[in-house]
Amino acid sequence: MVWQKEDRFSYETFIGKHKKVCVLFIALFICLSTRLFYLQIIRGGRYRGISEQQRIHNAYERAPRGVIYSADGNVLVENKFAYVALFYPFKQRRTLSAKSIKELSKILGKDVEFIINKCYKYGRFVKLADNLTSEEMLKIREKKLDLEGVSVLKESRRVYYHSEATSHMTGYTGEIRADELEELLGRGYKMGDCIGRGGIEQFYDEYLRGRDGGWQIEVNALGWQIKDFRYVQPEIGASVYSTVDLELQKVAYEALKDSSTGRGAAIVLDTRTGAVKTLVSCPGFDANKAGTKDFGKYLKDKELSLFNRAVQALYPPGSVFKIITFAAAVEIIDIDPEKTVQCKGSFKLGDRYYSCWQKLGHDRLNLISAMALSCNVYFYQLGLKLGIRNLERYARKFYLGQRTKIDLPGEKKGFIPNREWKKSKLKMRWLHGDTVIFSIGQGALWVTPLQMACLISAVANKGVCRKPYIVDRIVDFNGGEIYSHKLESEGRIDLSDKTWTLLHEALLEVVESGTGTRSKIVGIKIAGKTGTAQNSHGDNHAWFVSYAPVDNPEIAVAVIIENGGGGGQNAVPVSRKIYEAYFNMKSGKRLRQ
Amino acid sequence: MIRDKNFNWRLIYRVNFWLIFLAVGLTLIGFIAIYSAGNNNYEISFKYLLVQFLAFGIGLLGFVLLVGFNYQYYKYLDKIIYILSAALLIFVLIFGSSKRGTKGWFDFGFISFQPVEIAKIMFILSLASFLDRKSKDTEKVSFLVSVFAMLAGHLFLIMAQPDFSSTLSYFPVTLTLLFVIGVEPFYLLCAIILGALAVGIPLLKTFLSIQLPLLQDKTFLANLMISLKNFWTCICVVVGILFLIVGGWCFLWKLKIKIALIYPVILCASILLGCIASLPVGKSLKGYQQKRLVVFLNPKIDPRGSGYNIIQSKIAIGSGKFIGKGFKKGTQTQLGFLPEQHTDFIFSVIAEEGGWFIAQLTLLFYFFFIWHAFAIAREAHDRYGSLVATGFAVMFAFYVVINISMVMGMMPVTGIPLPFISYGGSSIFSSLCVVGILCSINMRKYTH
Repeated sequence: MVWQKEDRFSYETFIGKHKKVCVLFIALFICLSTRLFYLQIIRGGRYRGISEQQRIHNAYERAPRGVIYSADGNVLVENKFAYVALFYPFKQRRTLSAKSIKELSKILGKDVEFIINKCYKYGRFVKLADNLTSEEMLKIREKKLDLEGVSVLKESRRVYYHSEATSHMTGYTGEIRADELEELLGRGYKMGDCIGRGGIEQFYDEYLRGRDGGWQIEVNALGWQIKDFRYVQPEIGASVYSTVDLELQKVAYEALKDSSTGRGAAIVLDTRTGAVKTLVSCPGFDANKAGTKDFGKYLKDKELSLFNRAVQALYPPGSVFKIITFAAAVEIIDIDPEKTVQCKGSFKLGDRYYSCWQKLGHDRLNLISAMALSCNVYFYQLGLKLGIRNLERYARKFYLGQRTKIDLPGEKKGFIPNREWKKSKLKMRWLHGDTVIFSIGQGALWVTPLQMACLISAVANKGVCRKPYIVDRIVDFNGGEIYSHKLESEGRIDLSDKTWTLLHEALLEVVESGTGTRSKIVGIKIAGKTGTAQNSHGDNHAWFVSYAPVDNPEIAVAVIIENGGGGGQNAVPVSRKIYEAYFNMKSGKRLRQ
Repeated sequence: MIRDKNFNWRLIYRVNFWLIFLAVGLTLIGFIAIYSAGNNNYEISFKYLLVQFLAFGIGLLGFVLLVGFNYQYYKYLDKIIYILSAALLIFVLIFGSSKRGTKGWFDFGFISFQPVEIAKIMFILSLASFLDRKSKDTEKVSFLVSVFAMLAGHLFLIMAQPDFSSTLSYFPVTLTLLFVIGVEPFYLLCAIILGALAVGIPLLKTFLSIQLPLLQDKTFLANLMISLKNFWTCICVVVGILFLIVGGWCFLWKLKIKIALIYPVILCASILLGCIASLPVGKSLKGYQQKRLVVFLNPKIDPRGSGYNIIQSKIAIGSGKFIGKGFKKGTQTQLGFLPEQHTDFIFSVIAEEGGWFIAQLTLLFYFFFIWHAFAIAREAHDRYGSLVATGFAVMFAFYVVINISMVMGMMPVTGIPLPFISYGGSSIFSSLCVVGILCSINMRKYTH
């Protein structure tokens, strides 16, 4: 170290600068270390994920969906298998050779087209031909060496056995759309998946769809297959056991179809549990056609076949609402059931006349007979006495204006109008006239047929509301039960015993001597209420809600026929057919036992 | 003045063994990484390793010779060394063989040699000698001009190959040596501005041509960018900046803050020169090189093209996590997702397969190696030795920092190898030679 001593000054300047350079160098290395730490430790997991993603390709084999059974053990929906020929470039090739195409065409006896479109990504199957017979399949397997890149897979197709009658209850399936994929992000759906649409297929899709299997392969940067990891057997979806009684369902569907307009809905609930024994919306559709060209006609259909009227359609309840007015009147104003009122065919309020459906009038009626004959004038007066507040409160008490929480998709809430709504939406004052028509279930009151079924079921149970359900249990492919319905009480309508007694008496009278006499069956006592709901879009809707047997209720039935005319003439016979079928089956079972 | 003319065997004990240990350690890491980067092809792995072993052997020979040779001779041989290095670069232009469009290799059949690597070392040796001799004249313009003339000679010959990435290390080395010898930092700043403008303007053009379609919304920035594409508006901007500098200087003068007139004049001159120099630079840079430099700003501009390297390299490093994927088990490396994995992106291989631990260890090896080089500069026997050691230290630091920041996506992709580790015979040979010279300087620090 000579320089340091000999030329102190220049050494000092040198060492000063040298130090600065060293400091810069240290700072740069700290930067590098920090960056390295950031990339590997902090973001490491993310980058590991990306690196795995770009080296592993999944070639999926679709899992068959689960089977749907009816309550009486019939298969409603299952899968049929067909063989399809697919192109999959296992052996480092992106296209199918001309030789293979020729050979395949020879085996199948038809020209096979091989089209790879622009969005083809490595690792996807390209369909060459479907619906192969097993002979063709065997031939293709034999000539495996000539047909490089061609694989034969079993593909399942959904089969709906009693399609029209059960269509709305089961729903149908279709390929997942891009918007649905986005919506269901993170639930394991991927492009090209089958997804349930409507009914049980949609609501229980997660159970039904099973787990896709397939090949997992490692590819290099060029997309060539380097090695196979594993083949995973696809796992069939779980079986769904619905509560629906197939025979009853069919009867209900036929009865609705034969009714005046052929449009409508029918629901049969087990009053004891809330199980849906029948859920029909008419007209039905053929779910087998989903995904084909024929299905398009349903989409354009004026009769809205794909629309599940039982839970998605809103109708005015009409005279069925009188049940609520009746109950409210007994509870709140403690009306004397024996007191009679004169019905002259119309009712004057202010300078307007509100007519009864019976233009000639009903003469003198007491509470029970007014209900039995569905006299409007009597109920107008009750409504006026009660006032809109009480009526609205009672409508809510009977769970109108809210979903029943049935396990089917797309259920509507319905609507109960009130003063505030009218003021804010229509900018009009609530008039007495509005109360009058509200008391017989008209006006802006909207209900679904399912709500009506629940209502009558609750009435039959003296206020105990059961949550309606359509799926009893779900069993996975191992036979383990992965879901079962737990009986739960949705709520309770608290009314006095006197009210229930009067109401039951009145509802029984409707069938015995009133508007619902057409449903009378020998030996079984039925109680119910008809309704003829006026609407601005066309003919009146025909309603009939009922339950039987009166003394020990088992089932509750709600029927609506869209634009079907009078409830007594049109809806009641449909219910009658359902009752006949139900009690015949029951006695048949008893006989067999 | 050279004190000991004959080799003294006692000097052997003063060899900086740490330096050698770190260099050999890094080379070994390099062997393992190169073997792993052979892409599952044993033939290629074997060939790479063979070349690397051979170069290491030759490098060791060079190392032993250079350790024995007293570095002080270089001081007096500086002219010869400079002429020799220029001659090497001229020879390669005439007799060399081309690889990837760069005429920069002497081909000896199974092994080829890149003279630029040696020319760099020779340049540092001769530059240090020049600076040592003229250390009293740092204020003179002629001094700076002759230094930049020396630099320009080499740069011109290398750009004629053309080999853009090899010229890069010249700049930090020259600037640091000038700074250390005591040149006014302001002049160096001007030189940096000049260089930045000369390279920056063509790059900005490329950037705009890629990015403009993405900037179609009429924001202020987009309008500015579009207006800059016009030649005449550019001239206006430059003239405006010059006026601002002169005006600012006049303003300060009025405020009785005396700054010599020479400063604004030099600043203006460097800006102008930089703008003018940008034209030939823009022509000599190839389209793909410009694109690569630009793409690092935003790799997502072109994920399948120029941005691919950076993205894949970051994935490779990040996916190594703490313990790494294991030797020969790195998916990015083995499946070919990582580009240039045995040369420029070898650090990604180490980080992916070795994980954070090994990668950080490698970084530390480099750190201590360069730190030792700086320490040698501090303790050298004479100023010449200090300057040479500083130059080498800066060269290594530049290589390491640029390469590793490049693979981690902090710098543009330039073909700068990682010393000792990257595959490349010339690189490892020259690196070992440098270690030899450093040891030679270190051994003789106590001689009287």
